[in-house]
Amino acid sequence: MDKRRINGPEISVKPIEKKITQTNSNDNEIRKNNRSIENIRPIFIKPNVIKKANGSAYYEAENIKVICGVYGPRSSKRSMVSDEGNIYCEFKFAPFSCNKRCGYIRNAQEREYSLIIQQAFLPAIRLNLYPKSTIDIYITVLENDGTTACLAAAITCASIALTDAGIQMYDLVAAASATCIKGNICLDPDASEEENDTNSKFMLSYMPSLKQITHVLCTGKMEAEQSIEAINTCIDACNSIKTVMDHCLINSL
Amino acid sequence: MNLISPSEKDFITKGIESDLRNDGRTRIAYRDFIIETGIVSQASGSCRLRLSKTDVLIGVKVEIGDIVSNTTSDNNNEQEQDIVNSQSENDKGRIVCSVECSPSASRDFEGRGANDINNELSQIMNRVLNGPQGGIDLKSLCIIPGAQCWVIYVDVLVLDYDGNLLDTIFLATRAALQNTRIPKVEIQDIGNGQLEFEISDDIEDAEKIKGWEDVPVTVTLNKIGQKYIIDATAMEELCTDTKIIIAVNKSGEICAMQKSLYGSLNPSLLTEMIRTAKDIGKVLIKNIDTTLEHEQVMASRANNKKFGFFI
Repeated sequence: MDKRRINGPEISVKPIEKKITQTNSNDNEIRKNNRSIENIRPIFIKPNVIKKANGSAYYEAENIKVICGVYGPRSSKRSMVSDEGNIYCEFKFAPFSCNKRCGYIRNAQEREYSLIIQQAFLPAIRLNLYPKSTIDIYITVLENDGTTACLAAAITCASIALTDAGIQMYDLVAAASATCIKGNICLDPDASEEENDTNSKFMLSYMPSLKQITHVLCTGKMEAEQSIEAINTCIDACNSIKTVMDHCLINSL
Repeated sequence: MNLISPSEKDFITKGIESDLRNDGRTRIAYRDFIIETGIVSQASGSCRLRLSKTDVLIGVKVEIGDIVSNTTSDNNNEQEQDIVNSQSENDKGRIVCSVECSPSASRDFEGRGANDINNELSQIMNRVLNGPQGGIDLKSLCIIPGAQCWVIYVDVLVLDYDGNLLDTIFLATRAALQNTRIPKVEIQDIGNGQLEFEISDDIEDAEKIKGWEDVPVTVTLNKIGQKYIIDATAMEELCTDTKIIIAVNKSGEICAMQKSLYGSLNPSLLTEMIRTAKDIGKVLIKNIDTTLEHEQVMASRANNKKFGFFI
């Protein structure tokens, strides 16, 4: 032993570690952003943002920004006689919203999303009260961070805008998205998680009070039981999104 | 638009309630189909499939195309990420699907209404077939990484319509892709990293598409009343308020799922539908594969002749 130096103690003690729960450390390995698997990005919704529109809403969840305007009920352009109203939806990514610039003319994906949003609202709106009329929903995505999450955001946002326009509905429609990373269902995926195309993507829109699914969209390989699990996870997420929507609507009164 | 009277609708709905349909089937029984492959000589692969009166003709063409990378960005921060992306994207071919509903098949396919139907069907096909869930080994379609690849064009022509169009299209697509042959390509290095390729003219050399066995089929479940049926006829489709499309592959995995039409449904019913679709999809794939095998055996016999359009 070297006497000229100050020696450390001969017995050593284990360093005191900060206790980290097992689930958290697992979550961090699955997701690169600091979210746990069932954590959705915080949502901000504000109704009545476009003065000219009958109803409108703005939705923001970190890097997802969606604005929606609802016009109507107004008389249908087509002179077809119908005892039920119809919904027209236009979903558009702003040219600067995505990684790649998208043109002004709607591409096939945007047209498909328009159809999906229309189908998601058909069971919710009391169309029998609006004969011969059309309700127009215009949605613009200002910033895209995960296409599936954007679609879900668009539906949630349109739901608030429709309420703001005073359109009679059976229930609010909330939507949630999920992805399957290494066998784990992760809610609200962002762009980086979506890029990897081995992850399957999942979107579900749901009427929380009536307990009815209004739309479901899923791409990617999944076991049957896993997709059922994803449905249930999304339903839970929709229920929590509903509380945010309720809160926002009450505040706006 | 095709119309249905309220009493007809009631009759069909009540019948389905008691598990008996107009043509005598139970709720989860499929109609028989007739299939014939390789009937269009100009195409790389073709198939005609008839499910009762629903009739589709599919021609597959393989052509050489440029590889397009999905992500291009000028942003410096993302450059590093882009390189990683482009590496993974640069060695993949692609599949382009388009559906054309002939106006002669049904009144629904007239005018602008056809555009929506064509777009919806094409989008579903593109979404299911492009990607790992589609089964086809996209990497094997690559000829020169970063430059050229095979592009598989799947063109669907709907000749006649009696319900359950999407299932018919997917069954036929599976058969047409099984029938498709890609010409053999020889790659030569002509110095300083430049590659050149030559396409072999010999039909004997042509290869099958890798991974056609894993191409999924769809099972469309129609909710009528509180029950659901598969393989609906055109009349039954008019009584449907919610349609769930589920794509299933050979091993029973769910490859895609989508709702269509104007209704909504209970979560518990959806769960039940997924389990039914999984079982039915597996059986369907087994059926079509045995039919195709049988056809190949017949074709290998000496006095083989194609019936083509005359049956």
